[in-house]
Amino acid sequence: MTRSGARPVAHHIEVRGLSRTFRTTVRRPGFGGALRSLVNPERVAKHAVSGITFDVAPGELLALLGPNGAGKSTTIKMLTGILTPTSGVARVAGVVPYEDRQRNARNIGAVFGQRTQLWWDLPVRESFSILRDIYEVPRAEHATRLKEFDDLLELSSFWDTRVRHLSLGQRVRCDLAAALLHDPQVVFLDEPTIGMDVVVKEQVREFLRHQVEERGRTVLLTTHDMTEVERLAERVVLINHGRLVLDGTLDEIRRTFGSTWQVRVTPADPHTEVAPLPGIALLRREGPQAVFGPEGPGAPTVHQALKQIVERYELTDLAIDEADLEDVMRAAYVQAGPGADEV
Amino acid sequence: MSMNALRVVWRITRLNFRAQLEYRAEFLMMIAIGAVWQVSVIVFATVLLTRFSGMGGWDSSDVLLIPATRMMAHGLFVLLLGRVHGLGRHIQEGKIDAYLLRPLPVHRQVQLDSFPTNAIGDLAVAAGLLAGALGRSHLDWTAGRVTYLIAAILGGMLLEAALFTAVASASLRFPAADYWGNWLEELLGTFGSYPLNVLPKAVGGLLTYGLPLAFVAYFPAAVLTGHGTGAPYWLAAGSPLVGVLAYLGARLLWRWSLRHYTGVNG
Repeated sequence: MTRSGARPVAHHIEVRGLSRTFRTTVRRPGFGGALRSLVNPERVAKHAVSGITFDVAPGELLALLGPNGAGKSTTIKMLTGILTPTSGVARVAGVVPYEDRQRNARNIGAVFGQRTQLWWDLPVRESFSILRDIYEVPRAEHATRLKEFDDLLELSSFWDTRVRHLSLGQRVRCDLAAALLHDPQVVFLDEPTIGMDVVVKEQVREFLRHQVEERGRTVLLTTHDMTEVERLAERVVLINHGRLVLDGTLDEIRRTFGSTWQVRVTPADPHTEVAPLPGIALLRREGPQAVFGPEGPGAPTVHQALKQIVERYELTDLAIDEADLEDVMRAAYVQAGPGADEV
Repeated sequence: MSMNALRVVWRITRLNFRAQLEYRAEFLMMIAIGAVWQVSVIVFATVLLTRFSGMGGWDSSDVLLIPATRMMAHGLFVLLLGRVHGLGRHIQEGKIDAYLLRPLPVHRQVQLDSFPTNAIGDLAVAAGLLAGALGRSHLDWTAGRVTYLIAAILGGMLLEAALFTAVASASLRFPAADYWGNWLEELLGTFGSYPLNVLPKAVGGLLTYGLPLAFVAYFPAAVLTGHGTGAPYWLAAGSPLVGVLAYLGARLLWRWSLRHYTGVNG
């Protein structure tokens, strides 16, 4: 049996063909259009999430990535019981969240970086005490956990302050602690470090790493911070326009979308006619330098390209600019699928 | 509600009250606002007692029982169930999303959002009016009448809560529906103090069977003072039960709306 009393499950998060469609009214341009919409509104279905399927194993940290409006937050809202899906099934720690919201709430913790779940007018420590009563956590256990969170997040210097007077970094650290005080198996984090300074970001990352590696919690994280992804995530699910584009490791993502390298060379003879090579485009000339890049879907890796260029030209200088994860994700977002379906 | 749930409710209420107390000026101002908001009722009662001997065939002392009952019901509504009014703000601020993440009923969390300090002002005015109405009343206040009055006040509270819960349920789907709550508050305040038989029949009918304002205080006061209302006696006498049933219906509507909640920003 698990902490919540539920039977052990192979996956802490199971998502099968999950979809969510919102019905919205199309805005027609101009004053006349607005009047026409009032009398005869044109309703369309917007597919925020379309049939996505993935699993997260116990003790795994999965990064759910995608550009703005891709459907990440909608997915998290369905998994936390806030929204009911239009179709498909989701189970979190064996519970269908939108059918048994309160039971699911006992198994999960959630932090939405832009909104607090604490009592705005109360000192943080009072909020923690209320949560202890709500989740019926024994006092000794609560005190031990609070001490652990204080050691990791340095909360005690401001936990007697009202939430409304906290800085963003302090507030999100408190929200993180509040989300984990009842020892949930599964944690959902929607852009938890948004707007934080680098020092606090690092502190939060360390805290999350500790929760996964030492406490064995399952974490589903959404973020636009690729450093965070590189430091924390073993696996990534990429969604765009509500559809799952890729489910794999960071290496797999790099292999699939990461061919955005550039090789900058200076030929020994400045009068050398530099030309493209198979799968390698000549991007531009910059004075004596020539810049090569990948061409087409069958482009070679940066190392294969380097070999071809060195074999073809006599060079005096050479530099490689390999894409970082941010470039890779940019490429992935651009390549991933058509616009959101509207019917 | 379990003992632990009661403890949680009591603890949050106590902390919210303490938090309000810490802002002294704001706290006192909210109490004053609660009282001043009812100025129209106070003026109505004063004019009624000083200028008129009665209204619509009712003695002034009997008429006074109507605003007193309504105000008491309203004060208790604001104190115990009033946070559903203005739910649109909770929705826009994403608070409903946060409530859905906790293992507590969302409706209860809405009520525990803050302590309604203005209810103290409302209840102070209501208690004054009720004391005045009972002091001037020529009725024999038997145990049965007192029990019915208490039931009527609680029924009125539930009826007002039912109306605002229905508006809040609509706000869960369409946050702009919140404005109807302001209209409702205005309407209850404007017509709630009168014996409805002074109004044109159509308007009285609308405020009985359309918007069931008559069941909050007019019908109970008529039953207590023995006045006819044009409605069947059993219906007027059953006002407290109408409040209970309306509230149960409104909570079912709330539950249904919550299941279809779509939140803000998708």
